[in-house]
Amino acid sequence: MKIALVGNQNSGKTTLFNQLTGTKQKVGNWPGVTIERKEGLIIGTKLEIVDLPGVYSLSPYSTEEEVSRHFVMEENPDLIINIIDATSIERSLYLTTQLLELDCDVIVALNMSDILEKNGISIDTRKLSDKLGVSIVSISAKKNLGVDQLIKLIETGKYRKNPRQRIYEQDIERLIAGIEAELPTKHKRFAAVKIIEKDREYKALITEEINQKIITLEASYAMDSEQLIADQRYQYVVRLKDESAKIAKRGETITDKLDKVFLNKYLALPIFALIMGVIYFLAVGLVGGLTIDFIGALFDGSATIDVLGREVPFSIAGLGPLIRAGLGWLGASQWAISLVVDGILGGFGAVSSFLPQLIILFLCLALLETTGYMSRIAFFLDRLFKKFGLSGKSLIPFIVGSGCSVPGIMASRTIENEEERHTTIMLTPFVPCSAKLPIIALFASYFFASYAWLITLSLYFLAIIVILVSAIILRKFMYKGTVSSYLSELPNYHTPNAVYVFRDVFDKILSFIKKAGTVIVLCSIVVWFLASFTWNFQYVDGVLYHIENSILAGIGNALAWIFYPMLEGTWSWAATVSAIQGLIAKEQVVGSLEVIAGLEGNGASVFESESFNFFTGWSSYAFMVFNLFSAPCIAAIAAMRKELGSTKSMVKAILFQTGIAWVLATLIGVIGWVIL
Amino acid sequence: MRERRRHQHRMRLKVGDEGHLSDLESGQKAVVLNFHNDNPALRRRLLDMGITKGVVIEIKKIAPFGDPVDIGLRGYELCVRRADMASIDIKVLE
Repeated sequence: MKIALVGNQNSGKTTLFNQLTGTKQKVGNWPGVTIERKEGLIIGTKLEIVDLPGVYSLSPYSTEEEVSRHFVMEENPDLIINIIDATSIERSLYLTTQLLELDCDVIVALNMSDILEKNGISIDTRKLSDKLGVSIVSISAKKNLGVDQLIKLIETGKYRKNPRQRIYEQDIERLIAGIEAELPTKHKRFAAVKIIEKDREYKALITEEINQKIITLEASYAMDSEQLIADQRYQYVVRLKDESAKIAKRGETITDKLDKVFLNKYLALPIFALIMGVIYFLAVGLVGGLTIDFIGALFDGSATIDVLGREVPFSIAGLGPLIRAGLGWLGASQWAISLVVDGILGGFGAVSSFLPQLIILFLCLALLETTGYMSRIAFFLDRLFKKFGLSGKSLIPFIVGSGCSVPGIMASRTIENEEERHTTIMLTPFVPCSAKLPIIALFASYFFASYAWLITLSLYFLAIIVILVSAIILRKFMYKGTVSSYLSELPNYHTPNAVYVFRDVFDKILSFIKKAGTVIVLCSIVVWFLASFTWNFQYVDGVLYHIENSILAGIGNALAWIFYPMLEGTWSWAATVSAIQGLIAKEQVVGSLEVIAGLEGNGASVFESESFNFFTGWSSYAFMVFNLFSAPCIAAIAAMRKELGSTKSMVKAILFQTGIAWVLATLIGVIGWVIL
Repeated sequence: MRERRRHQHRMRLKVGDEGHLSDLESGQKAVVLNFHNDNPALRRRLLDMGITKGVVIEIKKIAPFGDPVDIGLRGYELCVRRADMASIDIKVLE
């Protein structure tokens, strides 16, 4: 048995899905968290259930809504669970009236029943069930109330069958019945209504006779048929609501009070800047300052560590030197020791030393998403974004993208206007993602010390400027089109659910560690190999053959001209190959720097090594800028390919991004080189 | 700029006055008389969201930069841009 979970956006579908199936799909407090269908089995049964993106009606408005319409209409589910946000029953039941026109049974799950009383709402579910003609179960997906009854009802099959209620005025119903009788399709009643609405997809089915009848109908109601049907549906819903629900007039809610502050004319922008500032101060400044050196010491060994600019005694042998000694004692050859210590441990260690910062970043992002604040940012920045040819909704991909570009790019599906969506997809990789944070943190903490967090913040502001300017360019030359509209909802503020937040952060960290343990280790081995052998496969031992003779240096030398101006006129094969590896994963840039520096064998830190001691404040800033804005990693490129819909657009996007990155970085480098 | 100037010079609509939804100020309530949007997809969506003749709409929150606007109708709230609100004819109730 196949069951579809259908409901308005942010009505709690995925929360219910997780309860029903025992899975842990991502939930959030903003419209549009779910953008793809997710399938699962109801615990302890063989009932297949499909979680779908939220919809307001079966006339889809954006790409992710089309997924839902397609599923319920074309893939013949045996049952629809229509989840209804009981606190906005009128709009929710509008969708129900459409679902009940399909050839499918419907059970209504009245969600958020636990907070009805608090909201001054009382619903007589038995009466509503009788009037509507379907079974209704009161549930609270969040608190797992009533979910068992829902499962039992589905299992026993003792729910009401679709009653095909007549909800329109008699003359409309007569016309529907007349059209229905002639139709060859499935979902006859639904199709008949669509024909009356003169829906484009059903145009072929409108005969001259039907057309005449529609015109008569429109004349007698003094409105066009599309408006008439919507109006009639709402009239029916209002009758249902008046008969079965009591809704007390609500005073000012907590959400309203909070919005008076967060959406205040003068406070909104400073508060937003403060929140973002605090996030990056915490992640990069405070936690980074506390942990990078400490974790570095664990791997490399040291006598003192740098904590927030102060030298603190911290004597530790370090994992690297220990393994080096251990392997030496076991009689391992020089190159084998180097492979393990410089290659594998060097790359993995460099990347994992940023874990504490990422935990903080992911935690802050999860809080933005679950509290409901993220939708506010989109709401108040819409006016500004509109001027640049974007929508406030572009902000959600950007914020999600500061964790990872891949889900960020996918989140763009909630943007209805195609030009705006494509522009947003191309710009999302400009947002510094969590994998780029290690690059920033490494350079900023070394060259700008206690101002590291300010430098980080400056890069984020630069990213915003680059995004806005690029938006103008793209909208002018590539994605010309009309200004679209902005339709969205402000979800109520919620105290974040600790379990969900924890799980969200945990999942992201786990996948980061997995990546560091697989992709990064693998790349580090390759880099180690290429840097350790010459083109004749002679081991670079530092005596006969030097790292400059290695294969890696050869590759780097072929391309180093690209980076020559931004590195203030330095010919660096090592920086070149490191930047290129950002294509595999951005954190690999750091991994590569560490491996190459480690191979020089004098135990110096990255920026004291011969390969990288040329870096200055200017060239490091330029190098960061290039890595931030150039083509994203392969995973994000694949996501762009999928969402833009063609390889050609993807290639254009990559060229555009890399072009902007190179011009900006070169500009900064040259300023430092020539002018200062 | 032009848009802003027009807003400044706009007269506050009084009870019983007719105008566009975009002319209302925070806290005002009005009933929808008619609605004529040129964009068929957007028009459809606004109908689906419950903006039909006779529905009562209240201006709930206005974004800090003056646009978009959070409107209350049918027991829920919806954010719309002023440009789209201009296609909705209303009569002021409160």
